[in-house]
Amino acid sequence: MDFFISQFISGLSMTSILLMISLGLAIIYGTTGVINMAHGEFVMIGAYTSWFLQTTFGMGLLVSIIPIFLITALMGFLIERIVIRHLYNRLLDTILATWGIGVLLQQFIRLTVGSELKYLKIPSFMAESMTLFGQEVSIYRVFIFVFAILTFFVAWFIIFKTSFGIRLRAVTQNKDIASCFGINSGVVYSSTFAFGTGIAAVAGAFIAPLKSISPDMGTNYIIDAFMVVVLGGVESLIGTAASSLIIGETSSFLASFSNDTLAKALVLLMIIIILRIKPQGLFTKRTRS
Amino acid sequence: MNKKNYQKDFFIYGVACFALFFVPLILGNDPFYINKSSTYICLGLLAVSLSLSWGYTGILNLGNAVFFGLGSYCMAMSLKLKTDAVHTGSGGLPDFMVWNNVKTLPWFWEPFHSLTFGVFAGIFVPVLLALALGFSILRGRIAGVYVAIITLAVLLVVYLLIMDQQRYTGGFNGITDLVTLKVGILEFDAYHPATYYLITIVMTIVLFITLLITKSRAGLIFQAIRDDENRVRFLGYDVGNYKTAAMCLSAAIAGIAGMLYTIVMEFASPTFLAVPLSLSIVIWCAVGGRQSLLGSFLGAIVITAGQGFLSESETFLHTWTLVMGFVFVLSVLFLPKGLAGFFEKYFKK
Repeated sequence: MDFFISQFISGLSMTSILLMISLGLAIIYGTTGVINMAHGEFVMIGAYTSWFLQTTFGMGLLVSIIPIFLITALMGFLIERIVIRHLYNRLLDTILATWGIGVLLQQFIRLTVGSELKYLKIPSFMAESMTLFGQEVSIYRVFIFVFAILTFFVAWFIIFKTSFGIRLRAVTQNKDIASCFGINSGVVYSSTFAFGTGIAAVAGAFIAPLKSISPDMGTNYIIDAFMVVVLGGVESLIGTAASSLIIGETSSFLASFSNDTLAKALVLLMIIIILRIKPQGLFTKRTRS
Repeated sequence: MNKKNYQKDFFIYGVACFALFFVPLILGNDPFYINKSSTYICLGLLAVSLSLSWGYTGILNLGNAVFFGLGSYCMAMSLKLKTDAVHTGSGGLPDFMVWNNVKTLPWFWEPFHSLTFGVFAGIFVPVLLALALGFSILRGRIAGVYVAIITLAVLLVVYLLIMDQQRYTGGFNGITDLVTLKVGILEFDAYHPATYYLITIVMTIVLFITLLITKSRAGLIFQAIRDDENRVRFLGYDVGNYKTAAMCLSAAIAGIAGMLYTIVMEFASPTFLAVPLSLSIVIWCAVGGRQSLLGSFLGAIVITAGQGFLSESETFLHTWTLVMGFVFVLSVLFLPKGLAGFFEKYFKK
């Protein structure tokens, strides 16, 4: 039983990380149909911005969330305006363009900050661990879990309860009809892009203290985030959350019987098999063609 | 495609391949540059492989390096078993297995004692993987971005598995200290022009076979699938089978390129199937012109040669990658058919 609880908790910790990373990706893909290959690089940029703010200005992690979100959201906005905008009629090419942008961001960090690993400190008041269901759990991981759920609800609130959200959903459903009703789909697209990249960067800032920071850290996260989006389908936020939970828990339990790498391979195999049976993902009702 | 164009293409490809045979004479048989040129040609062949699946059939395979890497490892395993192990375990175990306390040669290493088997495996292991991928995703009507993502994930997982199973694959270090390839009385030392000629001959044969395939009936169907998949399906063709076939051919070419690369580099390393190489292949094809086999080939050669030229300094190399990123984004935006498409438009009226 103890084993079960401890694996379940570590699965939840993985779930919260997956959810934070894939949320932005899912929102962007669901709305614009663009697979943002630079998403992992925004996670990386978030981690580096956090590191920069901490070492240069001595800003704490919680305070720095707002500037990190704003800086990267602006970057996302500009990238949509300058590059992605011209490619909406050939979506497969957006993969290439965003991959290229990812390379640019990575190289920019390599040339300015350097390739060596950087480390971030966990805020001191969260460095302890607490007892949860008879298991020692680091407070920081509990905090990330709470924060991921908070981010999820903020995203849900914005999409379903604000006027921007109404416009966003209208454009997602039918861009042309939405435009006829006076909705500026261009603005909706670039705001969505800004919002998605902003979330990715905040996720990066929170994950950074758990692991080291390096220019190529994004690559590892992006594949996991893609798997979440592919498995969950792009129709609903709930799908993203549910598939984060499935992948997080499955990886955690598989890893306890083998190791992380084999668990990853098995999860991928599982996803390919599921896709063969249900190509649109698990949590979709209608097809998006 | 009329007959005149047909002959013209064969003529251009012939001239390009013929010219490559004179490179060693121009370089004055300098071992270093001969070796470098050989590696560029291997990578060029790798670009041809992606051009067939992506440029001709529309399967954006972001994990193309996995086929290359598997081919490379098959060749390396064969060549490794021919070395006199310095730290010999029982029955000539490869050195890294001895360090990892492996007592007997694993069963999947056994057949690699035969070089012929190694060469066959270098082609068929990638093809089998492509076949499995084709059956599970391409025939399941999973298209577009999903294919791109899943192939990339497969690449990453195979990379992680090879890193993880250090006992059997050499892990991070790869398989090193290989014996030079010997076929009959011929010996292919990585720095000798003979190796360059071997690679160029193989490359020429493969390139022409690929060219013939793209000009054949099947090749036309490949291109039709790229342009409008549903229409081809309505005409009664099994799109899934054709796509799988294209991916298998592409995997075979990548496997051959990988084997040749091992001969020139004298080792196999997990970086041969890492994400950066796979990204590079896409860049070569995109910049060179993915809908032209020769364009992709030359794109790869020019870009890798430029990279090799600058690789003496790390800062240069990073700046070069930055510049390549820019060129890549620009060519996606403004030259979707790459430089080959550009030349065709303005010079081939």
